Amino acid sequence: MMLHGRGISKGLVEGELLLLQQPFSFLGGVDPKSGLLSGSSGAEGQDITDKAFAFPWGKGSTVGSYTILQLRKEKRLPAAIINHRAETIVATGAVMADVPMVDRIDLSLLRNGDRVLVDGEKGTVDVLGVEGQSVVTSVLMNRGRVLVLKRSDKVSTCQRMWAGVSGYIEPGEEPRQTAVKEIIEETAINDAKLVREGPLLTIRQKNTIWVIHPFLFDSPTDQVTIDWEHTEYQWVLPSQTDQLVLVPGFKRLLGDLGI
Amino acid sequence: MHLSRDEERVLAGEQGPGMQRAMELLVALGRIYDADRLIPITSAHLSGVSFKTIGDGGLDFLEDMSKDARVKVLTTLNPAGMDRSRWAEMGVEESFAQKQMAIINAYERMGVTANCTCTPYITGNSPKPGEAVAWAESSALSFVNSILGARTNREGGPGALAAAIIGKTPNYGLHLQENRRPTVVVEAEVLDEITDYSLLGHVVGQKLGAAVPYFKGIRPDSNGLKIMAAAMAASGSVAVFHVQGVTPNSLDQDLKGLERVHFDHVDVKKAKESLTTGKDPDLIAVGCPHLSQMEMKMLASMLDGKRPRSDSPEVWFCTSRTVRTWCPKETAALERFGKVVCDTCMIVAPIESRHRCTATNSAKACNYLPSLCSQKVVCGSYAELMERIA
Repeated sequence: MMLHGRGISKGLVEGELLLLQQPFSFLGGVDPKSGLLSGSSGAEGQDITDKAFAFPWGKGSTVGSYTILQLRKEKRLPAAIINHRAETIVATGAVMADVPMVDRIDLSLLRNGDRVLVDGEKGTVDVLGVEGQSVVTSVLMNRGRVLVLKRSDKVSTCQRMWAGVSGYIEPGEEPRQTAVKEIIEETAINDAKLVREGPLLTIRQKNTIWVIHPFLFDSPTDQVTIDWEHTEYQWVLPSQTDQLVLVPGFKRLLGDLGI
Repeated sequence: MHLSRDEERVLAGEQGPGMQRAMELLVALGRIYDADRLIPITSAHLSGVSFKTIGDGGLDFLEDMSKDARVKVLTTLNPAGMDRSRWAEMGVEESFAQKQMAIINAYERMGVTANCTCTPYITGNSPKPGEAVAWAESSALSFVNSILGARTNREGGPGALAAAIIGKTPNYGLHLQENRRPTVVVEAEVLDEITDYSLLGHVVGQKLGAAVPYFKGIRPDSNGLKIMAAAMAASGSVAVFHVQGVTPNSLDQDLKGLERVHFDHVDVKKAKESLTTGKDPDLIAVGCPHLSQMEMKMLASMLDGKRPRSDSPEVWFCTSRTVRTWCPKETAALERFGKVVCDTCMIVAPIESRHRCTATNSAKACNYLPSLCSQKVVCGSYAELMERIA
């Protein structure tokens, strides 16, 4: 799946992903002679040479730009740099040493060992072998309670977890149409009213990146007829969702919808 | 960021690889900081000179750039890792000296004035109020912003070099008036003494971080301002500050609703104690930032008629080559007690190979000596330091 960020330093390169969870300083964070990370990086002993090197943002001394040049001299450069937010020190070093660099990438969608194609000109990171799936998730509310449904063994993902009303967006379909269609199919509620649409939510699960369009609907009734996709349902207070095993991202989605 | 057609051509490489690389760097920085366009600059000042900091990787880069890139505006250079004529006396290895000269030569090929000082504003690179410039070296750029009233961001060495080569810099940050307004009022009560201003700057930077402080209650001269700017930039990334009745436009600032903080001699004393980590210095070094003419005169008169102490450690008076040339009498007087060292300072020279404990009056130096030069530190005023010497 193609992730769209912002190009910082040009160049097109494929590499294996090395992902750090914490901000990184090139000065002190890596030994330029060996390309091995030091303890302060949180991934001691990993080799950045020829890797697509991802970390949230750069920190530390401005001498870090020169450390990147030193890595070039020692032929220990990473193949590419991927950041959530670029700053001066790393960006400067990347441009000087000809390392393709992209920022504004959601690093939670990446996994160590992914093959990625980084395009520093277009500002994209293509995560190879990982499919993007566009889906809707609708939350129905009735008198302060939200509808959660337990997914059956017959659905393809997240079996036996609690979720909202979800479904794949078919080609040519508007997300909002999908949302209404799925509510009717999965709950038999025909007259739910759209309250608001949440911001897109992306979640990585194995080799799939779910692109979720969240919707909040008000339901005039608490009468629900489920279909084969679910085995049970309940109307719960938002605080009670903590006691359920939820599909990944559902809690965040509730927050994004203002619940 | 919007680029003109000419700028696009440079980015495409039509003016050669050096200018292309410089433009790529400006575009990357402009994107990161959401600049709307590039604006022309009138001067630049570059850091990234000492071989100790930039290493072989940095030298390769500069030699590569110097093949075809030339600076378009007056561009000066920060201190190097050694005095260009007295490096052997300073205990610098020949291999280091060769690499250091290669770095300076690469800058000179690009048209940079290799004055090797952190106070270029004293010796000829002195931007006028309101001018946009691209300066690296945190102490110098704060002086230029605060005391001269010109405008620069906190450039890194390569960003400033790129701006010098293109003659432009991305329009963001401290080029915009709204980011230069005071964010906090500092009511200060300290002695009118150079080292106390340095320690005050250290405390303010440490407590307030990257603020725009507005000082009341002090009237430092240009030497006090110079050393205070350096300390604040080192401990807190302060890149612009105002002093009531002293710095330009300080009386036009709106202070309504700003937080007020108070610092006095107790804070200064505590800072001095906390920066002091050693006891018996084997090097006494002053001139961070580089000594001005006035400071050279003052130190020479403090030592006038005295004899060097037999137990005096090695002494460095760090200044620019230009100021040294301007002060032949003072230089001769000071050389009786130590070396008037040019082009370098105790931070960027490889002093760790010969010294363990350094005494200085500069809070900025006290801040960096432990981490960059593995030194224990003694913080003292000019008077206290001169007593150890004479």
